[in-house]
Amino acid sequence: MGVNSKAYRMREFIRPSDQRSLIVDTSAGLSLGPLPGLEDFSAAVIPLLPLADGIVTSPGQSRRLSGRTRGDAALLVRGDWTNALRGPDFPLPPETISRVPLLTPQEALDLGASALVVHFLLGHEEEIEAGCLRSTVQFALEGNRVGMPLIVDVQPIGPRVVLRNKAIELGVSYALEGGADGAAIPWPGEASLMTIMEMAAGMPILIKPSSLEAAKEELAQALVLGASGLWLGADLFARPDPADVVSRLRELVHQQNVPAPQA
Amino acid sequence: MQTGLQARMDRLFNRHGDGRAVCVAADHGYMSDVTPNVTKLRSITEAVIKGGADGVLLSPGQAMRLAPLFQGRDGPALIVRPDWMNMPRLGTSNVANAVPQRLLYHQKVITAEQALALGATAVTIYLFLGYNDKIETTGIEVGARFVSECHRVELPCIIEPIAYGGQVTGARLVDILTLGARMAVEIGADALKIPYTGDVDSFHRLCSVAGVPVLVLGGARSDNERDAAELVAEALEAGASGCLMGRNVTKSPDPEKMIRQLCLIAHEGWSVDRAMRPPDWEYLRLRAHPADCTGCNLCVTACVAHHDGGEYGMHLARLRIEPGQGVGQYKVMFCTLCKKCIDVCPNHALRWHPETGAVELLPELCEMCNKCVEVCPTKVIVHSDKGIQIGESKYLEWYPIVCDLCGGEPACARICPTGAIFVDQRKEIK
Repeated sequence: MGVNSKAYRMREFIRPSDQRSLIVDTSAGLSLGPLPGLEDFSAAVIPLLPLADGIVTSPGQSRRLSGRTRGDAALLVRGDWTNALRGPDFPLPPETISRVPLLTPQEALDLGASALVVHFLLGHEEEIEAGCLRSTVQFALEGNRVGMPLIVDVQPIGPRVVLRNKAIELGVSYALEGGADGAAIPWPGEASLMTIMEMAAGMPILIKPSSLEAAKEELAQALVLGASGLWLGADLFARPDPADVVSRLRELVHQQNVPAPQA
Repeated sequence: MQTGLQARMDRLFNRHGDGRAVCVAADHGYMSDVTPNVTKLRSITEAVIKGGADGVLLSPGQAMRLAPLFQGRDGPALIVRPDWMNMPRLGTSNVANAVPQRLLYHQKVITAEQALALGATAVTIYLFLGYNDKIETTGIEVGARFVSECHRVELPCIIEPIAYGGQVTGARLVDILTLGARMAVEIGADALKIPYTGDVDSFHRLCSVAGVPVLVLGGARSDNERDAAELVAEALEAGASGCLMGRNVTKSPDPEKMIRQLCLIAHEGWSVDRAMRPPDWEYLRLRAHPADCTGCNLCVTACVAHHDGGEYGMHLARLRIEPGQGVGQYKVMFCTLCKKCIDVCPNHALRWHPETGAVELLPELCEMCNKCVEVCPTKVIVHSDKGIQIGESKYLEWYPIVCDLCGGEPACARICPTGAIFVDQRKEIK
């Protein structure tokens, strides 16, 4: 089948020449408020636009990224909200875990997004996981109709997670079976990543490193196994010079001496 | 039945014009932990389609991804799973125990219209029985509505009753499955996907009370692939319309071969033995080294014992030893498959047995003309002692007894202490 509008949008944040990508997720403020370094959103994020391949924002902050040029990062929009990312020390610790959809693929399209990003929460109540699956499938089906790629952000963070790496595999499996076009996953270890890459069968997998310190080593292993690149979180902005970190990681992501993953 | 619904039912159940379907359930990654059949889904799906599967059950996401495999007039039917549940990750049924679940959760995920838009020929939904009253009630309510939704867009709905939970005991299992089958039909199921009840009689009753095509499922994978084939053969004998096998096929070392075997059983009426023969299998024949024969007659005794059907005597043996004076002087006389008896029979009452390749008598065609007995060059076709009743109107006072090679393991060759009579192979039946 030829390239469709969904594939075109995927190419906006996964570089066609090497099938790799560096994504910076700035959407955590949606549930965690002003994080260190992200208090002034525009000032923090705009310097990264020429460096990253994609920037994930909340629907509201997406307006701050208007005026991007063709050399700038693509816009990916967070399509749901959850309090599951909050810890017990947060000013409003969650009593019950919730997750609600915020945007439809059509609305993401109207915002000018190149992809819609949703959480897949694992390890909480059955209803939360079931809701994530329902949203994934529905977003994928509608996204297929309107040409909006769906990226599933796998979050194995619930108290019921027993085997973290297996939970990540499960999350990718659900993303695939639900119809996602890509997945962002925590670093699952080399063995599980091999399983995941075999299962993904060409679907882009982006790695959320355990920490920025570990990013270089984990990225190197991930690229060898066929992953498509990195997905950095808001902890990046707590660094003195986020642009420098992104710049150095970008070089590693797009280096030429590691075979590119199969498209 | 509406035209669209009938057309889709035909696409699934009538690809071979026999009302049967051999299908594969490949939706496990949608619900269970990650296992090898989940990670290799694409290659497994390609293999089972190559093997001749009539339908493949997939999750909505994989249906989108693997859609090109289903295209074309010869492509299999795409069956979509529109609902989701977490049963494989509950308690002891959990494979990897990565994120254990406490409560059964069952939900509808996509609409019938969305399934149709994915190219579905049919959908399959669960109906849980035995977990608790609420789950059963919700299952009936949601199932009935979903069937109506399917029928509005003329999409066949296959319901899969599952007996699971504290109310299910071994003693009640068959009754619960039969109940589930009937309730599913009462709410409008066009076909059923259901576990085998364990025996032909009870499954026959289930199929009878269902009154719609029944596809048997395989359940957990057996280490012995023959088990799954026998399960399908028994279910077909009981009145099933085919199978929708999951892990027994998708976890098989060779899913393509397994589907091909199941197709031969379901569509060609082959026995399990015949379907599971290796490709290099050859028909048998008996051969002898007369020089080694001691004249002990053990072969004759074994033959008579093996075919003991109430009449007994050495004269009924399908082979004989011609007398001699010592080792090397005896003649072993047995059926050489010369085909003269088959050719001489004016009523075509003798033929090659399609599985063993031995001569087979069709008593209903035999007219006791004795020509086969007369023509046999080794004189090993003999008269039976007793007659045989054929139906209500025909009675044969005797019938010719022919060597059947003991169904593939000739007793004479097995017992011969010197190997004077032994089994050889022949390539084909001419």
